[in-house]
Amino acid sequence: MKGRIEAGDDTTSTRLRMRVALTVVALLLTLSGTVLYLASYFWGGWLLAAAVLVVVVRLLSVRGREAGIAWLKAVLTRALIPVIGIGCALAIGAIIMLSTGYDPAASYAALFYGGLVRNWSVSVLNAVPLIFTGLAIAFAFQGGLFNIGAEGQYYIGVIAATWLGLRLDLPPQLGIPLIFLVGMVFGAALNAIPAVLKVRTGAHEVVTTMMFAYAMKTVAPIFIRANGGDPTHSSHPLTTDQISDKLFLPLFKTFLPNANYRLHVGILLAIVTALVVQFILKRTNLGYKIRAVGCNPVAARTQGISVAWITIASLLISGAIAGMAGVTQVLGLDHRMYGDLNAGYGWNGISIALLARNNPVAIVFTSILWGVLDAGGQYMARTAHTPNAIIEIIKSIILFLMLAETIYEYFGSKISAWRSFRRLQRKGGRS
Amino acid sequence: MSLLSSLLTPQLLEATVRLSTPVTFATLAAVVCERSGVTNIAMEGVMLVGAFFAAWAGWVTGSPWIGVLGGMAAGALFSLLFAWAAVSLHINHVVAGAIMNILSFGLTRYLMMVIYGRQGSSLALAHSLQEYKFAVPGLSRIPYIGPAFFDQTPLVYLSIISVIVMAWMLKRTRLGLSIAASGEHPMALETLGRSVVKIRYTAIVLSGILCGLAGAFLSIENSDSFTEGMSGGRGFIALAANIAGGWTSGGGFLASLFFGFVDALQLRAQSLGIIRIPSEIFLAFPYVATIIAVAGLVKRSKPPAAVGKDFKVEGGEE
Repeated sequence: MKGRIEAGDDTTSTRLRMRVALTVVALLLTLSGTVLYLASYFWGGWLLAAAVLVVVVRLLSVRGREAGIAWLKAVLTRALIPVIGIGCALAIGAIIMLSTGYDPAASYAALFYGGLVRNWSVSVLNAVPLIFTGLAIAFAFQGGLFNIGAEGQYYIGVIAATWLGLRLDLPPQLGIPLIFLVGMVFGAALNAIPAVLKVRTGAHEVVTTMMFAYAMKTVAPIFIRANGGDPTHSSHPLTTDQISDKLFLPLFKTFLPNANYRLHVGILLAIVTALVVQFILKRTNLGYKIRAVGCNPVAARTQGISVAWITIASLLISGAIAGMAGVTQVLGLDHRMYGDLNAGYGWNGISIALLARNNPVAIVFTSILWGVLDAGGQYMARTAHTPNAIIEIIKSIILFLMLAETIYEYFGSKISAWRSFRRLQRKGGRS
Repeated sequence: MSLLSSLLTPQLLEATVRLSTPVTFATLAAVVCERSGVTNIAMEGVMLVGAFFAAWAGWVTGSPWIGVLGGMAAGALFSLLFAWAAVSLHINHVVAGAIMNILSFGLTRYLMMVIYGRQGSSLALAHSLQEYKFAVPGLSRIPYIGPAFFDQTPLVYLSIISVIVMAWMLKRTRLGLSIAASGEHPMALETLGRSVVKIRYTAIVLSGILCGLAGAFLSIENSDSFTEGMSGGRGFIALAANIAGGWTSGGGFLASLFFGFVDALQLRAQSLGIIRIPSEIFLAFPYVATIIAVAGLVKRSKPPAAVGKDFKVEGGEE
């Protein structure tokens, strides 16, 4: 590189300018393509493809042809494992369907048509709370903690948003941020006791956060009844009154008229949150300390990091992010609190964080995958009459296959052994 | 005073023992697993699968006894999958347990649709184990303790017997000592020529059978059908009871009795309606009690040294 710079200032500055321009173009294409695609304007996908192309061109110009191609190959190889894992899980799911008397071809056709095309907006809506709970759990994981009770923090976020939404009389520019703030504080507060107990007595957060989640779920109907829920109407699910419509999150429909009427900007907020979490973990002092404690608390302590405070901070921030999930769901989609909802955002958040290996950006994609499977599963249950619980089974098989590194290590060593054997054979043949 | 006396009745003690039964089974499962060095948060799911297959086997054959066997077998087989994931595939124990729970929710929901064609609750058994309640002659006449411990349904007796057998097994048998060694110092056990992998598999399958019994109690003794999500966090409460009981069979039983007592108190206070508090507050009692128990007792007890740690013999894989 140095040699090239000395070779001529003119060419370097034009190269530099070209690279900056390519970056800007790629960013713009990605941004607009993402927004369009999420709003079911599927031609946005072409913009995304173009963005990928621009990134590849930029890469080749920066790293040189050889190194660039090698890098691309490495990326594609890494992407192979998830693809194989999902493919195997679908195959196992097909065997289960066959053995219980359902038609896998028709079911999968309905699943993917429903999830990716027909009800794509539902998939996106499903992904929104999952991104938040997934991020919450991944954040705690990075600090070596297992926030298994994120569902409880989701609930308290819902309660905070509904409670304020029914009472606040503020313009949305003030009201919405305020509700988010309160929801985050509530979510963090719910994790305060598990955090302190963990530090003071060593009580395992799996037990304490889970118990708080069960307790929250159990007492939630009290709140609903106190806020307009009518228990005598047993034919309907128990819900509170609707929150003030001034505080609804903006809809995609306001700027993209063909978007689904329920699609709200929460998905964009979720993606931004993922980027912020990524930034905190990778680029800030706090994030460094959290990861250090997560990797090796003893080593972190010898570096002068207060493990106790970092543990508390990770659990509180994790709770705050999970609280955001509840707030977004109320302000964006539900506009009220539903009782008895078996949403499973906590458990699904665990799956998503594990699948994404706690990488915030990857969480966006795994959440969308989960959202597609959920939305497609419902469509499949309606049209192909296959029970959508099969989706839960497929999800856990995907998790098993993706996490069992030894399976791939085993096959990987077999394949590389076979390859080197072939290489030796060829060499032997030549000489 | 009148409030207390109307709460604390002989029936309360009887309900305490009855309601502690599923937690007792699951706590024993937690004890045997953790003593062998495996953190098992899959118990919630194993219990659920056990409850489903107990109800199914009992419904198909018409005999609740075969239902119990079905629950035990399902628990054993399902936890074998957990053993494979945590011990052989070396997935982090807590992570593998979480996946097992997710799988169990999906599996039971799917089978509900496939077998019964509906959601919610399965079809009721012709005969539940409640019909086989019997009093031990003589002993059941002892005031207070008699009706509580010696006038119960079959699985309640079995749970108390299991506590004694487990305590004996862990202390006095070769298997029990190997399990303890596998949790304290697995490498030492391996150098003695015993396989840590085999011991941990045994412990996990044993815990699966116990969780299957806990599930069977829920679906065919305390009730007559399976309801989705009926394990209701008892797998996690059992983890807490195991900690509160100091990783011992007897201590775990006492802790389970405490949770049974909280549960019974909750039911009693609810049915009396003497206090004008929403019933949900009472329903949340056991969960809050668990947090308090873990918070108060965890510092005093010491877990097995190698609990939750993956075991690999270096170089043994190749």
